Amino acid sequence: MNWIAANIIPLQATVTTFLLALSFQFPMRLGLFSLAGVGLFGVGAYSSGIAFAKFHWDTWSSVAFGVVVAALVGLLLGLVVARLGGLYLAMATIAFDMIVVVLAGNLTPLTGGYMGLFGIAGKVELWHLGIIAVIVAVLFALSERGGMSRRIEAVHDDAALASSQGINVSAYRLTAFLVSGAVAGLGGALMLMVRNTTTPDAYGFGLIVVALTVAIVGGTKSWIGALIGTIIFTWLPVFLTVVGEWREVVYGVIVVLAALFFPTGIWGSILGVRKRLAERKHAGQRDVVDEMATEPDAAETEFLQTVAGKDSEQ
Amino acid sequence: MTASMTGEPAVLETRDVAVHYGGIKAVDGVSISLGGNRIFGVLGPNGSGKTTLLAAITRLTKLTRGDLVFDGVSYATAKPHQVARRGIARTFQTVRLLADRTVYDNIALGTDVPPKGTKRTSKERRDAIDEAIGRTGTATVLKRYPAELSYGSQRRVEIARALASRPRVLLLDEPTAGMNQHEREEVAALMSKLRDEGLTQLLIEHDVQMMVDTCDYLYAMNFGRLIGEGAPASVVQDPDVREAYLGKNWDKNHA
Repeated sequence: MNWIAANIIPLQATVTTFLLALSFQFPMRLGLFSLAGVGLFGVGAYSSGIAFAKFHWDTWSSVAFGVVVAALVGLLLGLVVARLGGLYLAMATIAFDMIVVVLAGNLTPLTGGYMGLFGIAGKVELWHLGIIAVIVAVLFALSERGGMSRRIEAVHDDAALASSQGINVSAYRLTAFLVSGAVAGLGGALMLMVRNTTTPDAYGFGLIVVALTVAIVGGTKSWIGALIGTIIFTWLPVFLTVVGEWREVVYGVIVVLAALFFPTGIWGSILGVRKRLAERKHAGQRDVVDEMATEPDAAETEFLQTVAGKDSEQ
Repeated sequence: MTASMTGEPAVLETRDVAVHYGGIKAVDGVSISLGGNRIFGVLGPNGSGKTTLLAAITRLTKLTRGDLVFDGVSYATAKPHQVARRGIARTFQTVRLLADRTVYDNIALGTDVPPKGTKRTSKERRDAIDEAIGRTGTATVLKRYPAELSYGSQRRVEIARALASRPRVLLLDEPTAGMNQHEREEVAALMSKLRDEGLTQLLIEHDVQMMVDTCDYLYAMNFGRLIGEGAPASVVQDPDVREAYLGKNWDKNHA
C-alpha cells in the first residue's frame, strides 16, 4: 500500500489520461482527425467544477453533469464541423480547444478566470477510478467486436462503400463526437475532482500534444492501444527521474523511435504481425480462381483487344 | 410505369435523369425502367455515363435534373444509405473491400444493416451469409484477406457481399472485369439463376457477348444519352449502337 500511496498522482493520471486518449482515438477510428478531445476534457472539468462549487452539487452529480455537458458540446461541435475532413477538421478542432481556454479565462464569475477554479474537494477514491476505467474499457471493447466494429471500419476506410451497405455515415460521425465528448468530459471531471483545482492553461497546446502522442504511439485502432500509450507516457516521466536533466531528451527520442518503428502504433504493429502470420499460413493455399484458372483462349483475347481498341477510339 | 417489355410493374425507374459536372454532361436525360425477374443491361463505351448513371441511382452523386422512383415512390432526395436500406444493392467497378478484414467479415458487412422496417435474427443473417458464400464459391477463402486474392476472386467477394443483403434489385458494375472466360460464365450462370428466383438485376459490362447472352433487355448509352433499347440481339444490330460501341468492323470479326 505504501507504493500506491507514494504513486497516487501517476495512478490517478493513468485513468484520466486513458479517458482523454480514448476521446482522441474514437473519432480517429471513424476516420476523423479531431483534436477536440482536449477542449472537451476542459469543458467536462469546468462544468463539473462549476456544478460542485457554484451549485453545491455532490461529487458524482457534478461528474455526471460534466459528462453530459461535454457530450452535448461535442455533438454541437460535430454538427458544425460535419462537412470538414482531414487537416481542415484538425484545424477547426484546435480552434475549438483554444476557444475553450479563452472562455475559461474570461467567464470569471463562473470559472474563476485565469486565477483558476479552487476548492473542488471531490470525494473520488482510486478504486472509483479503477472501476470507471474498467467499465469504459469494456464499452469500447464491445465497439471493437462483431458488426459494430465492421461498420466503424467501413466508415473509416470508405464512406461511399459504407453508405452503399446501408450505414448512415453522418450519424456515425456525429456519434463519434458525442462519444468523444462524453469520455473526455468524464476524464476532465474526474481529473478536477482528484486535483481539486484547475486553471485554463491546463488545456492548452501542451495537452493536445500529450493526448495525440499517447493515442498515436499506442495505436488508434483499439482501446488497448490507448491503454499502452497511456501507461508509457504516464509512467515514463516517473522512471526517467533517474536520468535527471536528460529526461526531456530521452522522452523525445522515445517518441521519435516509436513513430519510426511503429507507424501504426505499438498495438497496431502487433495486429499487423498477427495479420501477416495469418497470411503466411495461407501462403501456398490456392485461390478460389486458381482451381480452374485457364489462360484466355485466342478468340477471347482477340475479341477483347478488338473491343478495347474500339473503345479507345471514341 | 411498367418495366420495359415485361408487362410487370417497374420496381426501379429513372425519369429523365441528368448528372452534369460543370459543363460536362455525364448523364443527360436518361429514363430506364427495371422490374420483374429480368436482367437489364447498360451497354456503352468508356465515358458514356454508365457508371455515373449507377452512382445517380444509388444517390452517390447529385442529380442535376430528373427523378428516381422505387416501388412507385420518388427517392431522388434520399441519402445513399437509405437507398441501400430500400433493398438496392450494388457492386463497384473498382473493388471496394475492407483491407484489414477477412473475406468472411467483408461478406458479413452486407448483412449488418437490415432493410428498413425489418429485423433479422442472427440465424437469418448467418443463413444469408452462408447462401451468398455458397453461390459465389468463396467458401475456401473465408479466412483470407482481400489482398491475398486474385482480382477475380475479390470481385466474387463483392458480389457475395451484395447478395448477403438479400436485395430486391442488384446493380452490378462490370462484375467480371479481371475474370477469365470460365469465371465469366460462372458469374453469368449465377445471374441467370438469381433472375429465375425473381431478382431484378442491372448489369454494366464491357463484354458485349456476355451482355447479349445474359441480359433480357438492353439499354445502349453514348455521350450520356440513351441511343437505343430493346431486346439484346436487336440493340446490338442497331446501326447507331454498333457505330458507337462496337465499331464498324464488328460484323467482320464476330457476327
